[in-house]
Amino acid sequence: MSSASSPDPQARAADGGTPAGAAQASATATFTCAGCWRGAKAILAVLPPVFVFGVAFGIAARGHGLEGWLAALMSAIVYAGASQFAVLDLWKTPIPWLPLLVATFAINARHILLGASLRGLCRGLPAWKVYGAMTLLSDLNWAALIAAERRGERDLGYLLGGGLMMWFTWVGSTIIGAVAGGLTLDDVKNYALDLVLVTFFATTLVGLRRGRIDDLPWLVAGLAAMAAVWFLPPNWHVLVGGLAGGLAGLVRDEMKRA
Amino acid sequence: MSTTDALLVVFAMALVTYGTRAGGIFAVGFVPMSARVEAFLRYLAGSVLVALVVPATVRGGTEAYVAVGVAILGTLVLRKALPAIALGILAAALWRAYMGAT
Repeated sequence: MSSASSPDPQARAADGGTPAGAAQASATATFTCAGCWRGAKAILAVLPPVFVFGVAFGIAARGHGLEGWLAALMSAIVYAGASQFAVLDLWKTPIPWLPLLVATFAINARHILLGASLRGLCRGLPAWKVYGAMTLLSDLNWAALIAAERRGERDLGYLLGGGLMMWFTWVGSTIIGAVAGGLTLDDVKNYALDLVLVTFFATTLVGLRRGRIDDLPWLVAGLAAMAAVWFLPPNWHVLVGGLAGGLAGLVRDEMKRA
Repeated sequence: MSTTDALLVVFAMALVTYGTRAGGIFAVGFVPMSARVEAFLRYLAGSVLVALVVPATVRGGTEAYVAVGVAILGTLVLRKALPAIALGILAAALWRAYMGAT
């Protein structure tokens, strides 16, 4: 841990210590238009729920006294649905700065884990491409990319392409919701659209499973996530479950080796 | 809330959120790559997904179990995600229609 290497992604290609049995990890990642296109297509299925949640956010934002253009701006530059909904309840004068920013961080802290897990797909790419693509990192295009990586995808454009599709959908639907209105979250439930997202993640999980090696980490991740739901403030469960599962796998491997 | 304040809030949120998006890849840049780190990041990806799916399914109740169960089975059988998702949603919709609301 003390021998910190440069955070510059370009330097990573020179990092030694590529593990045996992970041949793909040593390959340099690419960033192409074709990759963007593949990512954009992979995300199509989840655009309808993104659209509906965006409309719902536009409506909810107006209901909480935000002007339409401000709701659209928030969708455009924050681009993180759960945290946007959460701050609506904190939208008052005087501004509760600390709770507002803590809530934003807590709900979005899971992105840190998502970004970290993309290390192999950023290998050898210039920093501006890596940090540019990360502006549109979200659970959905990340999940699509992780699943595709298992099938040999090596293009970070995949993340950007999926992210762009979602960004246009999210901002556009926020504007529609802020202008129009009439739909509520209950309607979303009636059309089972909220289930599209969770089934999307579930099918991704099937593609990601390597076999029994994943059983223990995933079991720990599920239990830890549920424990976080029950015992911690809202929205920590992804971070807690992800870290717990990752550590469980690491500890198990260490004990096997010993 | 004045327009200036509102803009400040939105920009602050954007900054914090981008910090989380860039923070992960930035942080692992300081960790020398090793077999151990590689393995950890791989467990991490699956675990994050599990942590997304499990609480959402439990919270969603019976129809979420139906949707996720059918979607997983569908993926295993069909080897394609899109039709599997469609089947899962369809199964949940049928469940809701015939077994009553949860």
